[in-house]
Amino acid sequence: MPKLTIDDKEIDVPEGMTVLQAAEMLGIEIPVFCYHPKLSIAGNCRMCLVDMEHSPKPIASCAMPASEGMVIRTQTPMVKKARQGVLEFLLINHPLDCPICDQGGECDLQDISVAYGGDSSRYALNKRAVPDKEFGPLIETAMNRCIQCTRCIRFATEVAGVPELGATGRGEDMEIGTYIQKAITSELSGNMIDICPVGALTSKPYNYRGRSWELSHTPSIDVFDAVGSAIRLDTRGREVMRVLPRQNDEVNEDWISDKVRFSYDGLKYQRLDHPYVRQKDGRLAPVSWDKAFEAIAEQLRDIPGNQIAAIVGDMVDAEAMVALKDLMVALGSPHIDCRQDGAKNGSEPRCSYLFNTTIAGIERADFCLLIGTNPRWEAPLINARIRKNYLYSGFPVALVGPSHDLGYPVDSLGSDPLILEEILRGHHPIISLLKTAKRPMMIVGPGALRREDGATLLCLARQVADKYGFIHQRKTTIPDPWNGFNVLHTAASRVGGFDLGLLPGPKGYDVKGMLDAAAAKKLKAIYLLGADEIDMASLKSTFVIYQGHHGDRGASVADVVLPGAAYTEKSGTYVNTEGRVQRSLKAVSPPGDAKEDWKIIRALSEKLGHTLPYNTLEEVRARLVEANSLFEELDTVQRAPWLPFGQEGKISSESFTAALESFYMTDSISRHSITMAKCEREIAQGAPHG
Amino acid sequence: MVNVEDLLFLIGYTLLIIIPLLLAVAYLTYVERKVIAAMQRRVGPNVVGWFGLLQPFADGLKLLHKETIIPTQANPFLFIVAPLLTFGLSLSAWAVIPFGPGMVISNINVGILYLFAISSLGVYGIIMAGWASNSKYSFLGALRSAAQMVSYEVSIGLVIVTILLSAGSLNLSEIVEAQQNIWFIIPHLPMAVIFSISALAETNRAPFDLPEAEAELVSGYNVEYSSMTFALFFLGEYANMILMSAIGSILFLGGWLPPLQIPPFTWVPGIVWFSLKMSFLLFVFLWVRATFPRYRYDQLMRLGWKVFLPFSLLWVILTAGVIVIL
Amino acid sequence: MKLKFFPLTELCSGLFLTLKYMFLKKKVTLAYPYEKGALSPRFRGEHALRRYPNGEERCIACKLCEAVCPAQAITIEAEEREDGSRRATRYDIDMIKCIYCGLCEESCPVDAIVEGPNFEFATDTREELYYNKDKLLANGDRWEVAIAARLEQDARYR
Repeated sequence: MPKLTIDDKEIDVPEGMTVLQAAEMLGIEIPVFCYHPKLSIAGNCRMCLVDMEHSPKPIASCAMPASEGMVIRTQTPMVKKARQGVLEFLLINHPLDCPICDQGGECDLQDISVAYGGDSSRYALNKRAVPDKEFGPLIETAMNRCIQCTRCIRFATEVAGVPELGATGRGEDMEIGTYIQKAITSELSGNMIDICPVGALTSKPYNYRGRSWELSHTPSIDVFDAVGSAIRLDTRGREVMRVLPRQNDEVNEDWISDKVRFSYDGLKYQRLDHPYVRQKDGRLAPVSWDKAFEAIAEQLRDIPGNQIAAIVGDMVDAEAMVALKDLMVALGSPHIDCRQDGAKNGSEPRCSYLFNTTIAGIERADFCLLIGTNPRWEAPLINARIRKNYLYSGFPVALVGPSHDLGYPVDSLGSDPLILEEILRGHHPIISLLKTAKRPMMIVGPGALRREDGATLLCLARQVADKYGFIHQRKTTIPDPWNGFNVLHTAASRVGGFDLGLLPGPKGYDVKGMLDAAAAKKLKAIYLLGADEIDMASLKSTFVIYQGHHGDRGASVADVVLPGAAYTEKSGTYVNTEGRVQRSLKAVSPPGDAKEDWKIIRALSEKLGHTLPYNTLEEVRARLVEANSLFEELDTVQRAPWLPFGQEGKISSESFTAALESFYMTDSISRHSITMAKCEREIAQGAPHG
Repeated sequence: MVNVEDLLFLIGYTLLIIIPLLLAVAYLTYVERKVIAAMQRRVGPNVVGWFGLLQPFADGLKLLHKETIIPTQANPFLFIVAPLLTFGLSLSAWAVIPFGPGMVISNINVGILYLFAISSLGVYGIIMAGWASNSKYSFLGALRSAAQMVSYEVSIGLVIVTILLSAGSLNLSEIVEAQQNIWFIIPHLPMAVIFSISALAETNRAPFDLPEAEAELVSGYNVEYSSMTFALFFLGEYANMILMSAIGSILFLGGWLPPLQIPPFTWVPGIVWFSLKMSFLLFVFLWVRATFPRYRYDQLMRLGWKVFLPFSLLWVILTAGVIVIL
Repeated sequence: MKLKFFPLTELCSGLFLTLKYMFLKKKVTLAYPYEKGALSPRFRGEHALRRYPNGEERCIACKLCEAVCPAQAITIEAEEREDGSRRATRYDIDMIKCIYCGLCEESCPVDAIVEGPNFEFATDTREELYYNKDKLLANGDRWEVAIAARLEQDARYR
């Protein structure tokens, strides 16, 4: 614990900390450009120069380890002059086009120039001109503005794991680029916009559209995957202008995926803004809420409860789910399911469907076994954590399933599920690695759970976990419990649905059963709550109620369409794959007549004669807590006790298949996003720009 | 039993006063604007007619064209009656004003008392207008106006008493004739000053125009009035100014008498002298308005009760003493 | 003090001052629609959006005027134009909200929004005073000569 003095204040810091971090702990601000707490240290911007006693020259505080007895001063005339000098040099080649720069108003260079810069430049010659680079459909470049801090290069190489960016040339001729003009193929590329301290990298879809000071900020939760990243919705009027990450070191650190960041334009197109009822000529006609509810009530009046079913989609909030569950119970239907992808897990115990290690816990693991998962697409931020751990500890990652470039070396064991049995029996060469691991972890992905034998695979995975020390129960001899068994979901609503018991009841059909029953005309009515990812063809002869926000697959077969609110338009509770209960706030109002989802179900229940006993959001949330007390604790992970689960049986030798066909267009919002369509074309399929 | 001839004569004589009076009122507004403009280095009305001489008619026409608005919460009867009363009273006072020797409609021997009574009634019009409008601004303006007029009537009354003592008559013509040798302004100069200041207060003119202080009361008791009802208040106020000038010239400036009882002054008819004296007093009204800022209400009250009242009382006693001794 | 109060000398001197003004001072009235007073080059009148000599509009939709406007009278929406430049798709000034403080002109980095010399833009209806970009650009075209001359005159003091 070295002890040093900064600006006459003494502080003890942990070994390995830099002077800059020590100053930060003391609340002393040192301006920086190239330093970023989540990236490696470059020390090339020279903005963080401070005065160190017995040093003839100022030192770069971001790169200088704090050591015993250092005396640092950050406010001397020399430091002031050094800062002014650095800024004057940086501004020599900076175009000062702040009025047309999207970074204007939230620009580090602007702020630091105002706070620490001089008042004029002595440079009178022509400025450097750098041709703009093509970074793909998400990132707009203005390379004249670049100050060569190399944050973007370090982000791409370290966090995103795509070493596609680099610097060419030296000194004044140094340019940042992709070497060849190509789109950056990372699911996290949008974060480069955030970390760029100037306006060299800006958001292409947001280009020139808004200003930072005219936006209202609303904290929200990412619903495009099950990670539940903390996001901030920036809105102007009734429009979501952009989506930015909020820092949450337990989940997403400083990053979010490109899907949530850029798919907000999908919220503008193909929205359901009126209730619709299918007319006799087969067309959907807009009607009032009352008419739509009457149409439903008329149909459901003569249908017995066990011929009504409900499927819950992937982006539904817990409030709507508990309302739907209560409604289905009131109607006497056991057919309800929140697993529209047909996953086979979800029943008790809770540890069988959670990411028990927690996302932050990945950093402590020393071995990782991926089973039927592609975390890079299914949960880019979990993949970034795995890569982070790989980068710091070099831990081995093995994969059973279709191989894919995950951004770090993976020992691909093949995609045959029988490999798992081999591992369990101790015949597989990976065993030697497994046995030396102290904190191994495994991630069972949707590619495994969606199979017909998903439940058996789950059991097999548990047995492997039990046998090879993936689980350290809390005992007096083991002070540090460890649960290395993880299930990775892709749907934001999934864990919440499991926690609320949105699973088929006794004699209830699961999703596949419902579709089969509907095709066999044994099911008369089905309620799709935001469910678009099922085979709609079998619902032809069924009365379909679709409630959701987009006119997507579900609405096209529906007999009654009830317009709901997208995630930006309601305050919702979501449970992420770790079992972390998180709450989002309403940023904008739903379009037209659309309403918050739980309110629709509540209103419908009254028309159906089974009035649900809650009228306000507070009452619905009280009901959530009543249904499962886990919903009381927000933003924390409640560890589930390790209990046996799964059904033993034979697994088929059919190979694992990928769960997602693409990263960019997976749900009703991103399918309607123009930006996502461009990404799909230019990044995923590699079509040339233009 | 009224003779028809007498009646026609009376009506004719009344019209002979009222029509020039209304014309005078109209042109007083014009003169006021011109005089104040000149004192503020402006031109004043100069667009309507030659030198803007038709401006008063343009203003009158404009007022006539406007809609008469009676507020829903107002008392319509009193609301309409109030301006009529104000205007009627300001005209009826002229019945006893002698314009020259024998040139008076009604040469009653309590003429000054009649004038005093009529001008005291003027406060009713204002109180009625303020109350009937059912507006806080009107009401506050009316209250201020009533208090102010009542306060200054006291000192005007005492001023009149000194004149009565000096003249020995209540008849206006006799008061004028009592000034054959010396105008009362010379022995009673302080009273003349008190009278002219009280006349300003009595007619709610600047610097005592608190009842209509725009800054506080938007316009005082007449804020809800428009069109002809407003015009009647307006005419009444200016007619009152002329009346006060007439009283002033009768009491202090020797009415129709020339300044010196020698030719060529005696060749000029008395009514011309009377008009000239009135015009001078009217000019003083306007001059004062262009010069002084508005008084504060407590200053106004202090002046009335604590300066003018004791001083004029003292003067009454002095005058009475002097007359008894002489 | 009493000596001054009783003969009312202060009141009399006031009265004589106004009398002096009445007879001895020259009139300063301007016959407004026919005569007009001199305007300072910094006079803040009706707004206009200027163009460059080549006809390109100056405004780059940086929204600084919108941000600085104390009356929040300015509304701007921006987008990328086909040629890749930043342009306002909407530039509205509510001339009724506007307090004519001139901060928009001062904040403009490209001298696009200016308050010109025109103060005679009264209208019959309120709606006519909600200026949009076309109206402001038309103003700029109409007043460009005067505006350029004013800026030229004032340039050395800026």
